[in-house]
Order: sequence, then C-alpha cells, then structure tokens
Amino acid sequence: MQLDLSFIWTAFVGLLPAVPTTIRITVVSVLSGFAIGTFIALCRMYRIPVLHRAAAAYVTVIRGTPMLTHLLLIYVGLPLIVDGLAERFGWAFRSVQIPMIGFAYISFSITAGAYFSEIIRSGLQSVNKGQLEAAHAIGMTTPQALRRIVFPQAFAAALPNLSNSVIGMLHGSTLAFTVSVVDIFAQAEIVATTNWKFFEAYLAAALLFWGLTILIERLTALLEKKVTRYNRGGVA
Amino acid sequence: MIKLRGIAKSFGKQEVLKGIDLTVEKGEVVAILGPSGSGKTTLLRCINYLEKPNAGEISIDDFSVNCRKPAKKDIHLLRRKTAMVFQQYNLFRHKTALENVMEGLVVVKKLPKEEARRIGAELLEKVGLADKLDAYPSQLSGGQQQRVGIARALALNPEVILFDEPTSALDPELVGEVLAVIRKIAREGITMIIVTHEMGFAQDVANHIVFMEGGLVVEEGPPKVIFQAPKEERTRQFLARYTSDSAYSI
Repeated sequence: MQLDLSFIWTAFVGLLPAVPTTIRITVVSVLSGFAIGTFIALCRMYRIPVLHRAAAAYVTVIRGTPMLTHLLLIYVGLPLIVDGLAERFGWAFRSVQIPMIGFAYISFSITAGAYFSEIIRSGLQSVNKGQLEAAHAIGMTTPQALRRIVFPQAFAAALPNLSNSVIGMLHGSTLAFTVSVVDIFAQAEIVATTNWKFFEAYLAAALLFWGLTILIERLTALLEKKVTRYNRGGVA
Repeated sequence: MIKLRGIAKSFGKQEVLKGIDLTVEKGEVVAILGPSGSGKTTLLRCINYLEKPNAGEISIDDFSVNCRKPAKKDIHLLRRKTAMVFQQYNLFRHKTALENVMEGLVVVKKLPKEEARRIGAELLEKVGLADKLDAYPSQLSGGQQQRVGIARALALNPEVILFDEPTSALDPELVGEVLAVIRKIAREGITMIIVTHEMGFAQDVANHIVFMEGGLVVEEGPPKVIFQAPKEERTRQFLARYTSDSAYSI
C-alpha cells in the first residue's frame, strides 16, 4: 500500500463541511450535560429527598454503560415512547419528525450529564465550607450564596477536569455516525470509500480532531487564567 | 438589646449548650471566655444561625426567633441584623478586598455599586488597608485578611458583630494589628460579642465578661470583678494563669 500524501490534504478539505455538525453535537451535549450535571450534583450534595437516590442511580447506570448503548437505546426506544404517547393523546407529532441529530443531542447530553455531575460535585466540595457560611453570615440566601460565591470557585477548581470531559465528548461525538449523522468521522468514511483511500481519510480525520482538541485546550487555558486569577497570590 | 433565652444545642447525643441565657445591651462589648469545648463558639454561631439551636429564643430588640420552629424568613432576617468575623477569616477568595466588603452591600442591601464602592473604600481605610483595595485574599497576610473581614462585617451596619476567636489563627506579631482595629471600633459604640482566648484584650476592651464551661454560663460580670474577684472556684482556676501574667499588653 502506498501512502498518498496529497490525498490527505484533499480528504482534509473534504471533511471540513462536516465540522459544524461535530461542533454542534459537542456544544449541545456539553452545555446541557453541564446543566444536568449541576442539577444532579446539587441533588446529591444536599441529599434532596427521593431525588438524590434517583440522581445516584442515574450516575451509576449511565457511567456503567457505554456511550454507544445510550445512543442506540435512545435511537430505538425514543420513537416507541413518542409514538405511543402521540397515539394516546392524539398529537400530530410523530417520531419520524425527529431529526437524526436530535437523537445524538439527547443521548450525548444524558451521557455528559452523568460524567459532568461528578466533576461538578468534586468542584463544589473543594470549596471551603467557610465560604458558604460567610455568605450566609452577611445575609445572603443560599441560592445567592451558591451563585455568587460557591459556583465561581467550584468552576475554577473543576475546570481542568471539565476540559478533559469536553474533549471526551468531542471525540465521543463520532459515534453519531451509527445513527446516520454525517459528522467528521462519517464524512471520513464517505471520503474513504468513494476514493478507496482509507488510511489517508482517517489520518485527515485524526488531524482535524487533534486540531479541534488543541483549540479546546487553548480556550480552557485562557479561561483558566481568567477564573483563577485570584489564586496567584504570594500567600496561601 | 440582644437577648438569648434557654439556648440549647446538641450534636447527636453530645449536649454542647445546656440552656444559655444572655443579655447584651446596646453598645456593650461582651467577651465570652472559657476552656476549649465549653460551647462558646457554638453559642456564637447559634446567634446568627450558622448552627441551629434545638431550643430557646433569640431576640434582637423587638424581633425574635423561636428556635423550636424558626421561619426561614426569620433566620434570614436574623442574619441581616448580625455580622460575623471568623477565626479563619473566610474572605471570598475570588473577590478583591474591596469586592469582599461591597458584596453584602450590593447583593443584600441592594445599594448602587458606586455607593457600595465608596463605603467599602472608606471602611478599608478605617482598618488601615487603603492601599489594598484591589488585592485578593491570597495576596494578603492573615492580619490583613482579618481586617478585611472586620470591614466586611462593619459594612452591613449590623446590630451586633460576632467575633469568633478573631486572632486565634494569627501569629503573635499580627495579633496586635487586629486587636487594635477591634478596640477602635469598640470605642465607636458598636455592640460586639467576642469569643477569645486573649485574656488581656478581653479585660481591657470588654464591659462584660461571660465565663462558660460545659455548655453553661459559670459566671458573668464586669471585667474587674471576673478578673480580680471571681466568685466561682472554676473561674478563678481558669483565669489564674492569665491574671498572674500581668506583663501582657498590646
């Protein structure tokens, strides 16, 4: 087999149209995963009746099963549920109207939520209890104290782990090709099979993912510099 | 006037406060003394509900909280009427000295930012930190952090400031600067309750001394009486080491 160096570039250019899809899946799953994760982490930390048990079950089940199974279960199961409900309540909506990428959004958000919840929990727990007490002592309500005092510090502490998971979600988004979403990897498959040049196409995809990962690393580094500015003192 | 009636608190089976009564007049400086584990810090933390008392009543002027069934709103109100200075300072680590002082003014008292900034700068100047407005807690020494903590408490203009061993985490050289600030604000007539191990300071700055042990008030009275002629044997015992050390001064 001969490596066709120039075709790597051709494939690379051919993959670019799929970049927005990959980014969209990653951004949606990361953002909603962050929201779900925060909610789950708070339920568990404050031991909210019933909910904290459900939250713990969610985390162990989702972390205990591969991301691909979440996607396939949602892909197969969600239409059953949606159509069943639609029939029962007489909705006009049918599952065929759900775009393919919708399944990726939903299932990857569920996946991300479980992983993020543990990162967020560790971040929240790293904030000294005295911070919350001081906020209460100056008359803040708990929601105010969490939002203004605890979350910013927890976020700063959790950022390195969060960026790790964002990268994980970026790479995991390649699984979307199993439900016919044309992301970077699916596009690489297409480019590879139509030109019969697999190695070059996969190399091009790898380079593209590496590039996106470097971008995430750079952005996190900038963000980290900003949110941990307060930590660079002479003392403590 | 602050009135505590029958404040009781247990951690599990451990009874930490066994029904404390205490009255603090407006403008009074009360020092709570006692050995470790006597419940003095817990008592202080009950006053602003950082610890939930199991029973008793806390009143500030004509506002009162029944500790058996406190309303969330009342706890919040109680906290707005009090301020606390912590042993470990507990400054908001992600905020500058000025922002720490402004936080309560802006978020709780809803003052416009400009006004909060002006008050914050004034108070930091008062505690001798006019040149540290933009420093983060991690860039300040312990003594400086505690002085920011005091400015933060003062900013809220509370009915009472609760000091929880404000100098216990400081090295001896920094204790003086913090005590000097507390002494200065005590003179302004702000009501204060201070839990401390600095006997000389307590004797000098307080108008009223409370000696606690085992979750009970053993003896209370003016500093002259408590330090020079305590009625209870236990008080005498506890203070013996300090009263003999008359060289202590700041």
